Amino acid sequence: MKQLQDLPHKLADAPDAVLAERAGDGNVAAFEMLARRHAPLMRAYARRLVNSHAEADDVVQDALIAAWKDIAHLQDGTAAKAWLMRIVSRRAVDTGRRRKSHDNLDDQPEAEAILPTPEQAAVAGSARLALNTALSRLPEEQRRCWVLKELGGQSYEEIAQALGISAASVRGRLARARTTLMKEMEEWR
Amino acid sequence: MNPTHDCGRRIEALSDYLDSGTSPDAEHIDYCPQCQAQLAGLRSLSAAALLMMDDDVASATADDTGWLDGIMANLRLESRAGRTIPLRGGELDELSETEGAVIALVRTVGDSLGGVLIGRCQLEGDVSVPGEPVEVKINVSARYGHPLPELAQTLRDAVFAELLVETELNVTAVHVAFTDIRPPVIGNGSGESGKGRS
Ligand SMILES: [Zn+2]
Repeated sequence: MKQLQDLPHKLADAPDAVLAERAGDGNVAAFEMLARRHAPLMRAYARRLVNSHAEADDVVQDALIAAWKDIAHLQDGTAAKAWLMRIVSRRAVDTGRRRKSHDNLDDQPEAEAILPTPEQAAVAGSARLALNTALSRLPEEQRRCWVLKELGGQSYEEIAQALGISAASVRGRLARARTTLMKEMEEWR
Repeated sequence: MNPTHDCGRRIEALSDYLDSGTSPDAEHIDYCPQCQAQLAGLRSLSAAALLMMDDDVASATADDTGWLDGIMANLRLESRAGRTIPLRGGELDELSETEGAVIALVRTVGDSLGGVLIGRCQLEGDVSVPGEPVEVKINVSARYGHPLPELAQTLRDAVFAELLVETELNVTAVHVAFTDIRPPVIGNGSGESGKGRS
């Protein structure tokens, strides 16, 4: 039999592009390595886009299932991270859409507060804590645009497509979100 | 903000300037204190966003460490079959193997060599017709310190030999392309730097 005891070791420091190529060929171990590498970021991002941690975990799982099905078509494996983030965006937006059609809630800011860790609380008054608080007060439509742009690095067109609105509305919502956030952060200083 | 000196520039235009680095209005923006203050605000907002994301990732990692294992277990990834390759099956005409299985075989052979990690592997040619010439194209991520021509030759020989024994494909060529070189492993005692196949 061949010596494959080195394989986990080799996969661990393999570039995303190599893992993506292998995963595209059907190698489960490579896909798992890629997924583990980026899952914390996907989870953190999903938590900012949906309204509960449980929902975020469902989004990550759905996104990974979709990614496995589609990874053979990923042209540029070096962009695997951005590609995974885009899948999370789409899944998270769909989740919000489904929930809204179910319980017909008003467009209230309803994000589950992401509580600071003790160390973060110790530097209360810091810019990021101020931002965290301000963000949870934004109307959901503005918050989503801002998160997709600032944390997801997506273009106006991509955001417009994901949210089913025009690029001009994205630009407007983003401007309102930024104006509010900047103002609230200044008050913290 | 002093309303008597409001220059009337919108946050959209300033954001675009920050994103693209250019603006038809740059001459004004570069020398307007009010615009400069807004730009500074936008910059510190982006900086705070990055820090917040770092915190978020740290929390996502720290919270219940079992979640990732749980997700992985739930994925139940099914391997991909690819094309069907017929086999001369004696009495059973329907005997066949899958392209996915052959590619997995090539991967196993390659991965077992010191310094080699297989990337994409493709079978070119009509594998569904017995005896048709098939060329194997392999991308390889190599570990620094292994001479590439030798590594390529060793890999080609190993793949040829394995496919000859394990399949009925008429392999006419094995092409090896090195896609990247990974840095050497510090303190690697696992023998990856060894001669490879035992
Ligand atoms: Zn100005």
